Amino acid sequence: MVALLVGMCPGLDEGLLRSLRAADIRTVEDLVSSDIEDLAQKCSVSYKALFAVRRVLLAQHTAFPVSGADLYEELLSSTAILSTGNPSLDKLLDSGLYTGEITELTGGPGSGKSQVCFGVAVHIAYHLKQSVIYIDTTGGLTAGRLLQMLQTETNNRDEQMEALQRIHTFRLFDVCALLDCLYGLGGGGGLHMACVGGGSVKALIVDSVSAVIAPLLGGKQNEGMSLMRQVAAALKTMAKDFSVAVLACLIKEDFDLQWWSRAEGGRGGAGGGGETSGKRKLDETDP
Amino acid sequence: MKRPVSSLSLGSSLKGKLVRAGFQFTTDLQDLNPEHLSAEAGVSQQEALEALQAASSGHGVAPVTALELLQKEEEFRSIVTFCSQLDEALGGGVPVGKVTEICGAPGVGKTQLCLQLAVDVQVPAVFGGLGGQVLFVDTEGGFQVQRLVDLAGAAVRHCSLLAEDEEQRVAMTTFTVETILSNVFLVRCRDYVELLAELHLLADFLSNRPRLRLLVIDSVAFPFLRLHDDLSQRTRLLQGLGLRLIAAATSHNIAVVTTNHMTTRLHGSQAQLAPALGDVWGHAPSIRLLLRWEESRRLASIVKSPGHMDASVQYQITYQGFRDADQSERPPSKRPRSQTDQSASSRKNTGT
Repeated sequence: MVALLVGMCPGLDEGLLRSLRAADIRTVEDLVSSDIEDLAQKCSVSYKALFAVRRVLLAQHTAFPVSGADLYEELLSSTAILSTGNPSLDKLLDSGLYTGEITELTGGPGSGKSQVCFGVAVHIAYHLKQSVIYIDTTGGLTAGRLLQMLQTETNNRDEQMEALQRIHTFRLFDVCALLDCLYGLGGGGGLHMACVGGGSVKALIVDSVSAVIAPLLGGKQNEGMSLMRQVAAALKTMAKDFSVAVLACLIKEDFDLQWWSRAEGGRGGAGGGGETSGKRKLDETDP
Repeated sequence: MKRPVSSLSLGSSLKGKLVRAGFQFTTDLQDLNPEHLSAEAGVSQQEALEALQAASSGHGVAPVTALELLQKEEEFRSIVTFCSQLDEALGGGVPVGKVTEICGAPGVGKTQLCLQLAVDVQVPAVFGGLGGQVLFVDTEGGFQVQRLVDLAGAAVRHCSLLAEDEEQRVAMTTFTVETILSNVFLVRCRDYVELLAELHLLADFLSNRPRLRLLVIDSVAFPFLRLHDDLSQRTRLLQGLGLRLIAAATSHNIAVVTTNHMTTRLHGSQAQLAPALGDVWGHAPSIRLLLRWEESRRLASIVKSPGHMDASVQYQITYQGFRDADQSERPPSKRPRSQTDQSASSRKNTGT
């Protein structure tokens, strides 16, 4: 629903806008779906002018069709596969994390989700030399542990420090802050700012999504579902538009999973088919 | 990436009006002035101003690189427990900036450990401590001032024996039983409403007391165990509580220590002891210490931690407090020995 504003297209001036408002036409959809002849008579404007405005608006606001072949070419050229550093995990994920997709990690407390996230972050920062954005909502992010993992990879202190500089962390504890952060990274070139340390941002890890959303779900609150879908949409858009691999952790609770997967899958985006809608999930259980 | 108006942190009715008037993204709102917006969307001037502010601000905080995080972590010391084996397993002690949970069966020593930490956080910086204050939230009524006096006295004696140079001797003048007691702020919460209310006021409390370095909640399970008729409400309250504690720990650099009870979990036909409040609460603390009995020994195990390996150490509770277990191995004897178990010989029954 896009509001009709002055200057949106040539011919849509103050006067025309006022008369359209008077006829209760406020948005582009209202204008396009109404009968032009009728409207011309009601607002006493020329049929031709209104028709021209309608045509321009239609051209401006219609979706642009893309052929499947072009989409496939784009996918082949823009998708990268990031190894997680763990060969058996890579095998499970069909050689690693795919950019443009959200990979979801679930498990009970103490099952090792944060450890997997640390491992992925360290591997991408050190071996692949790319930047990683790590959003922590659980308070479990310990830089000492990251350093410990790096120390098993290399003894060179400088290289360790360099790799640590490529991991950009955010510590957020409520869903509005999370949305602000995601949209701040997405718009305004935040992702480019983050890659000052060399390498572009190739992965975004969120540990964990359920910590901020779960308190809002259920009961008499109705904002929870909507905010959850907002977060899913933001992550999805970031994954697709910026070609990053998103790794999201969730705690293992049946009803969360159901709504989250629907939220993820439903937002297919401009060309995401069923398979590439990024619904690959990893379940972790205690050994 | 365009941000939809429905993701802003505004009231839902205001967001509804804006969307219905056709303002879908924040970019649509950017060039308008409040009067214009209030006319278009049919909202009050105040609300229009609020909406415009929310749309233009809110780009989040700047990221912190892992290197800076590491430097900050190395700056803050941990709180020693005076049981050197446990301190070693924890890499120095209970870490500041994280939520640690101590769970165990009744009588194993959870409150004792909390009291010990309340004394240890006050050890002056020259001795390797934090010199901080502590807020003790007691929900069970297990706080005994007399016991705290005993522990404080033992800690003061221990430090005065260690004092070598002038600086440490000067610090000892401010580290006495009276000052230790005056730096412990005790709050008694009788039910979960009081507990949640106390935590709502926590932010103000913390900003007025910059020296506060430890928050103890003993115990977090007790008020919630009574809420068994509305489990979904309990779940939500616990998750909100967990998030609030983690936020307080990270933003104010305090160590948060909570105590939990044990409950029985059934795996098929086998019953096992597991921490209470379920998996929902299990995700909130970053570190979990399990205190348990094994025959006549007391063991402390790290069962969950992002930065430490799982380990089990033996400890004991003496008159002086939480200490290492006596490692002396007694040779086997032919005749049964009379029971001189050190942990039981303390003058006071240390109970919980």
